[in-house]
Amino acid sequence: MVHLKSLGLVAGILVVLFILPLFAPRFYVYILALIYVTALLAMSLNMVVGYGGMFQFHHGVFYGVGAYAVALMLTKTSMPMWIGFIVGPAVAAVTGLIIGWFCVRLTRLYFGMLQISLGSLIWAIVFRWYSFTGGDDGIHGIRMPSLISSLNSSYYFILIILVVCLILMYMIIKSPFGSTLQAIRDNSQRCEAVGINVRRYQLGGIVVATFFAGVAGVLFVALERSVFAEMLFWVLSLEIFIMCLLGGWFTFAGPILGAAITVALRTFVGRYTEYWTLILGVMLILVIFFLPEGVMGFFQDLFKPKVKEAAERGK
Amino acid sequence: MLQVEGLKKSFDDFLAVNGANLTVGQGEIVAVIGPNGAGKTTLFNLITGALKRDRGRIIFKGEEISELPPYDICKKGISRSYQIVNIFPRLTVFENVQVAVLSYQRRSSNLFRPAQSLAVKETRSILESMGLSGKEKSIAGSLSHGDQKILEIAIALGNEPELLILDEPTAGMSPEETQATMELVKRLGNQRGLTILFCEHDMDIVFSIAQSIMVMGHGQTIVQGTPEAIRSNKEVQEAYLGGE
Amino acid sequence: MTFGPAELICQLLVGISRSMILFIVCAGLSFVLGVLRIPNIAHGTLYMIGAFATFSITIMFAGSAGFWIALIVAPLLVAVVSLVAERALFCHLYQREHLMLLLFTFAISLILGDLVKIVWGAEYKSVSAPALLKGSISLLGASFPRYNLFLILVGPLVAIAVWLFTNKTKIGKISRAAAVDREMVGVLGINVSWVFAIAFVIGCYLAGLGGALVAPTVSITLGMDHTLIIEAFLIVIIGGLGNMWGALVGSLIFGITHSFGVLFWPQFAIVFPYIAVVIVLLLRPKGLLKSVW
Repeated sequence: MVHLKSLGLVAGILVVLFILPLFAPRFYVYILALIYVTALLAMSLNMVVGYGGMFQFHHGVFYGVGAYAVALMLTKTSMPMWIGFIVGPAVAAVTGLIIGWFCVRLTRLYFGMLQISLGSLIWAIVFRWYSFTGGDDGIHGIRMPSLISSLNSSYYFILIILVVCLILMYMIIKSPFGSTLQAIRDNSQRCEAVGINVRRYQLGGIVVATFFAGVAGVLFVALERSVFAEMLFWVLSLEIFIMCLLGGWFTFAGPILGAAITVALRTFVGRYTEYWTLILGVMLILVIFFLPEGVMGFFQDLFKPKVKEAAERGK
Repeated sequence: MLQVEGLKKSFDDFLAVNGANLTVGQGEIVAVIGPNGAGKTTLFNLITGALKRDRGRIIFKGEEISELPPYDICKKGISRSYQIVNIFPRLTVFENVQVAVLSYQRRSSNLFRPAQSLAVKETRSILESMGLSGKEKSIAGSLSHGDQKILEIAIALGNEPELLILDEPTAGMSPEETQATMELVKRLGNQRGLTILFCEHDMDIVFSIAQSIMVMGHGQTIVQGTPEAIRSNKEVQEAYLGGE
Repeated sequence: MTFGPAELICQLLVGISRSMILFIVCAGLSFVLGVLRIPNIAHGTLYMIGAFATFSITIMFAGSAGFWIALIVAPLLVAVVSLVAERALFCHLYQREHLMLLLFTFAISLILGDLVKIVWGAEYKSVSAPALLKGSISLLGASFPRYNLFLILVGPLVAIAVWLFTNKTKIGKISRAAAVDREMVGVLGINVSWVFAIAFVIGCYLAGLGGALVAPTVSITLGMDHTLIIEAFLIVIIGGLGNMWGALVGSLIFGITHSFGVLFWPQFAIVFPYIAVVIVLLLRPKGLLKSVW
């Protein structure tokens, strides 16, 4: 249910975000754009993990594949750039379909482990194929269409795509497909007994999620004009997981919060010390010890006791 | 309507079902009885496709369904409820039944409309007939055990089955709840023209509503017949009823 | 390019020798995974600490003695670090879900990784092999590095030591029992907490030992922990979770496919073991040997 109050709040936030580039320094505009990209990525993971209950341990691969697809199309072919933007998510979704097809035959842990191995294989190939993918240098200086070639215009492009994707994701979660996915998460055996081909739906969920991960990859390229092999490395996949955990993965907006916190922390702590990884590690430990429901869950409990029941419902 | 012939199933070395036979006629109410470990739940799992048989045949409405996966068997018209409550604890009562109804309506994969506006009438009618209307918005996990068992059956009804299989539907219920539930089941059977196959330990229930009883022991079918025939069957008396 | 049988055999042996290091590290990882049910991402960072510590110790002592001393001291140092971490932090989390434990060990690996950066800086380090193990010997007409021969000897020694420990010592047997049923072990009046601590420290010791042994063969860099740990996890997975022999089989598959990759397609050498892992998991998703989980 979309309450009028939350709708108003969201609209208000959007207005602020839209006018921000007019007066905020470039650096903050850049950071926000980076948060948008990361938030979309985290949300896409949550579709399969939080709503689908699957052990998607190497989601970053689809993000990286989408980014590399668009990067390669823009640098190696002379096709119109906007086609590259569509190819990115498409390739990511096809990769998701293929990898997912192998993985959904397995349950839980084994699903995750097969995915890690397939994803690592892709990473290894990209990492070593220097002549084609740039290897561990990556690809840099990718030219963008002139419409989005300035920081501000790419900011707006990313923000608009983010909002569209969030609306689509919300609709999907509220649709029968989304309910079925959540039912499968809660009791896949019963779903089979009521006529649902569980594997097919799980695969569908994966394709949807990896499509959005591919979109995030394209947005990353639009912002950074580069791709890096790290995007396909397991560390990023784990970090996305942590963003969902940090933000609270049974709420819709939790992963957005997790992404925002992670990017903000990394940037601002990184300005003070080169040892920001250590600080991040310490904060992660604190969250694990003290906030089992994630930051979103913690605030929900604190400020809205009525909503706590809905949060309990998520347990 | 349902025919089970010579069904066998073993787990590693344990022969859970060793020659089960069952005949269920259309519109009948058939009970399967037997001591714990006789293989009743395994039999139900085999019929509904949750387990794959080693040997034997399962024929439903003239079609062999022995090798089909559970979701295809459900689409053929067989629905089941579970002995141990197997609901969707995090969803509301309404949503629990709605999942089944949407599946029946082949709308589970719909991406474009909000789920809450679909299949509302059908879901509500099932909830009403099961007496759960007032609890529509409750989280299923928070219901009392008796209500959860009723929800169990309600979910199974969501698929508009022709054959409803109930695995110990009144286990853990009080005598009043048991009575009410079985009245409900019998009434639904008549109203919707359902064929009902169930297993129970409560002999009063079995003998009062079943039209045909199949007795199982050690994974085998001992005999199947009318209540009177079973009551006077010497084998059954010795093996199970304690020679009354 | 044609390779004679001598080259092939040599490359096979090189693969086996590299597998030995992987085996030592993975045995530790698998042990901790089996007994404590902790997927320890920091295991790779402890390996890295073992390598860096070996560097420091070897430059502290003139000549080859440094390496031999490091081989003894570095793993002990890692063991001490792990004991501190276990007593201070890990032991409070045993009842949490595996995912939380995984993220926790990831956080520890981030912290330890930066500590390594603080202590040793960000530049590559290298360690030379001791005089005894420098150079190559002639094997079937091809040349085979002495250090690799040393590794082929050390590997089985460690395997035997681990086997003796888990099968012949009291603590080892208790660890194996705890891996299968920790509640039962507790009911028998055994201090499960100490069993876990000892098992954890031994697993981490093996990580440090692996790091010390690998030091003369690679550049010691930051980031070697993250590269290693994914390989280690994949090896443990294809071998069977918590299974010592599985770690051996997995390591051999990984090491040998890698070394043949180096021979036939050097640029993509690292891809070969990953392909092998994928094939194993497609055919046997739960691993080749029995897992403890």
